[in-house]
Amino acid sequence: MSGENKSAYPFYIIVGSLMCLVIISQLNFSFSFKDFQFRRLDMLSELRSSGPEKDSATLTAAKGGGKRSHADSTAAAAGKTPEGTVVNPDAVYDFMSYKGILNYTATTTGDSNAGMDRFMEALRELKAGKRKKVRIAYFGDSMIEGDLITSDLRDSLQTFFGGAGVGFVPITSVVASFRTTITHTFSRDWKDYHYKNSPPSNIMLGLSGHTFYPGGGSWIKYTPVKKPRLDKFDEISLLYGPAEATTININDRPYTLSGNAPVNKLDFRQDTSAGTITIKYGGGPAAPFYGVCFETDNGIYVDNFSFRGISGVELGRLSADMVRRMQEERPYDLVVLHYGANVLFRPELTDYSWYERPMKKVMDSLRRDLPGTSFLIVGTADKSYRKGDRYITAPGVEALLKVQHDLATTYGTAYWNLYANMGGSGSMVKWVEGDTVLANKDYTHLNRQGAAKVGALLYKAIMNDFRQGEQQP
Amino acid sequence: MIDVNKLLAQLLYNPSDPVLFNSAFFFYFFAVFLLCYLAVSRSQQGRVWVYTIFSLYFFYKACGFYVGLVVLSAIVDFNLSRWIYNTTSHQVKKSLLIFSIILNIGLLFYFKYTDFFIGIINDVTNGHITPLHLLLPIGISFYTFENLSYTIDVYRGEIKPVNRFMDYLFFLSFFPKLMMGPIVRAADFIPQIHQPYRLNGEDIGKGMALIVGGLFKKIVISDFIYQNFVQYIFDDPSKHTGLECLLGVYGYALVIYCDFSGYSDMAIGIARWTGFKIPANFDSPYQSSSITEFWRRWHISLSSWLRDYLYIPLGGNRKGKVRQYINLALTMLIGGFWHGASWNFIFWGGLHGAALAIDKVRIDSQKKRKTEMSGFGAGLMKVGGVLLTFHFVCFCWIFFKAATFHDAWSLIHQIVYDFQPGILMELYNGYTAVFWVMILGFVLHFLPAKAELKMAGVLGRMPLAGSIAIMVIFIWLLVQVKSTQPMIPIYFQF
Repeated sequence: MSGENKSAYPFYIIVGSLMCLVIISQLNFSFSFKDFQFRRLDMLSELRSSGPEKDSATLTAAKGGGKRSHADSTAAAAGKTPEGTVVNPDAVYDFMSYKGILNYTATTTGDSNAGMDRFMEALRELKAGKRKKVRIAYFGDSMIEGDLITSDLRDSLQTFFGGAGVGFVPITSVVASFRTTITHTFSRDWKDYHYKNSPPSNIMLGLSGHTFYPGGGSWIKYTPVKKPRLDKFDEISLLYGPAEATTININDRPYTLSGNAPVNKLDFRQDTSAGTITIKYGGGPAAPFYGVCFETDNGIYVDNFSFRGISGVELGRLSADMVRRMQEERPYDLVVLHYGANVLFRPELTDYSWYERPMKKVMDSLRRDLPGTSFLIVGTADKSYRKGDRYITAPGVEALLKVQHDLATTYGTAYWNLYANMGGSGSMVKWVEGDTVLANKDYTHLNRQGAAKVGALLYKAIMNDFRQGEQQP
Repeated sequence: MIDVNKLLAQLLYNPSDPVLFNSAFFFYFFAVFLLCYLAVSRSQQGRVWVYTIFSLYFFYKACGFYVGLVVLSAIVDFNLSRWIYNTTSHQVKKSLLIFSIILNIGLLFYFKYTDFFIGIINDVTNGHITPLHLLLPIGISFYTFENLSYTIDVYRGEIKPVNRFMDYLFFLSFFPKLMMGPIVRAADFIPQIHQPYRLNGEDIGKGMALIVGGLFKKIVISDFIYQNFVQYIFDDPSKHTGLECLLGVYGYALVIYCDFSGYSDMAIGIARWTGFKIPANFDSPYQSSSITEFWRRWHISLSSWLRDYLYIPLGGNRKGKVRQYINLALTMLIGGFWHGASWNFIFWGGLHGAALAIDKVRIDSQKKRKTEMSGFGAGLMKVGGVLLTFHFVCFCWIFFKAATFHDAWSLIHQIVYDFQPGILMELYNGYTAVFWVMILGFVLHFLPAKAELKMAGVLGRMPLAGSIAIMVIFIWLLVQVKSTQPMIPIYFQF
């Protein structure tokens, strides 16, 4: 046998396998085991004439859903627009494709604080020198971690309206090293209570969703970075909870904390030549700490409240007392809610009523606790997932946008569609695979360049509203 | 229904879908090729022509009309080598060789490194030269090195140039190794052209084991781990904990090995099935207990090429210790740069060069003192050496893979300062399948060579129907893995 020439064997093996595979392709069988759906083999898929595609059919269905809601909300909002300050935007624009900011008036509360009105008023007063500061609380998930999006928005706003400093920085952060707008280091022994680790009921979470308790040798250190408006510290304030005779050292100068309110503030001006600020826990009862804020005495500030892996419903766990007190110590003129990536964890899901219900509670309480503040809901970014061999927009994206838009119309907030701004359906694929890479390979998260682009788009949208307002008599 | 237009489109070059061994197109291509090849198998020139035409078509499917470059460089080097061989003047010989080197390296540089140097010039002079954005002809790094070794060998008098141009074009365009190597030497390859096309059971078994094993390495291990885990980590290292980053690096070590060696194995297996023996390009490199050994086992065809045509001409170890270390470092630096036009590759090569020089000092001092351990101590040293070498290689991979230096450093920063071992279970739950595939990959890698031989033996003795059944089941399994829904990146979840 060893002398036999088997040179035809490769041909037989390949052609034999090919024939079997083509036959299996034709049999058209598919089966599943537990949760795993075995894929059908199709050796001729590249050669078949394309029939009606399933993918686009699913998408069209989702789009149809979006349109229906559009009509519904038009009807809902049409009858209740008060005083005509805000014309019902749905009558003019399709929320699914419109790239500007849509301003809604509350349909249920009758609150005259519609869309971005109050915030725009604040901006105009700031520009005219009638007030010193305007603040934005920008809430989001990992999309804004490390000051992504917010740093670009802040930079542009501060260039136009004035102000210098990064605003709020938490005591510790999982992405401190990723943040390029401040150098932030800390000791390992801070105890971090937050949304995800079920803190005891007596612990009150701060606005960022975190409350930090010092250990024996806890410290934090902040150093400015060499960037315009971020290269020195001026007005610094430490935010902390109820404290009795807790001592801290700021750059080796001792301070004793006091105050019974849910949020207390210790202001101090840094000797700008010193640069770095180091805060050390000095002893006494371990008080809850929230973060440190960096500002100057005027201008506009954007606080980045990122929390990895949340969908936004967690904000409902913030105590009303804390939110109200925070607003006294550090008033916000605009609250931005930017969520979606973690809501879309099952990309083919199109029913988000489970998300809408708790989000309504969040909106109810935030609206109640922050009565004079404008709200902006940022609709989810595009998210793609792999279907077969290629990436396509998840059907859930437009379904979630509809829910987010409904929240905006119901609670009279502003709404900005990030998905439409990215380019709509299929845009995430372009952002990931384009010549300039703007998003990561998970087809969900933007990279630094992509985030800068979004920051610039949002700034442009805000400024369009601002300039329109200026032109009005 | 079969669409004729689609069928025709499939036959043409499509920039967004270059042909690979693991594509359905290749299956059909290989079947038609084998049919034609068998039809002419009794004629040596017939086999050369059929193989060359199919190779050139394969190359056209992979990178369009750049196929012309292979033909052009074959014409140039075939003639230059003959002139070098035929001339008696040493001066003329040398000038022709230099001309050939400049031409080959020049072409490689033009396509591969122009933009890199434009970038440097722009940085240094604050200039604004627009990059050319040239599309890199696939395989150019490989066939350039093959051309060079051929002309240099002829110049050195080590081989006689081939008489027939078609033989040389066949050698250069030989499709199994054209795109991703291994780098084949003319001296090893050309004599095989003249042998009759005969295969025995061992050839069939080895070829099949290499093809099936290569596909498994590429699709089941490499692509799966990369798409479902590693790419998320390297995309944004600073957003992942140190533990994730470390596992990402271990994962990447498997990804790059299985991707590259899997493709090499397929090439060697396909060549074997068509009657050509190409030596192994990888020899379980992570089993190495020193960096010197690693480079004897990793991408063997490249490292031996660099040794023979760069390190030795530079002086090798003949010009004193210091020069030897410099030569080693320089060879690795250039080897790094060969991988791609970026400072990361140069740094990667530099790290390996420095490590090789340090290891040389160790080996020399050991030789001098004649210290040789045995028994348990030697075993312990061996395990320690394997662990140390593996971790050094992994450390270097960080720079090889990361998009920028900044990314590489932030990944290292996370491992050192933000390790967070507590998330291990959460991580495991998020990526269960990935981690099991990783474990499987490492276990297979550390299996003794005997196991592979055994598998090849079994496949070689298998009846035809058995071989077909194995192939069919295997491809069906690959399809299942290939199109699995990717895992959701972990950092959504906590």
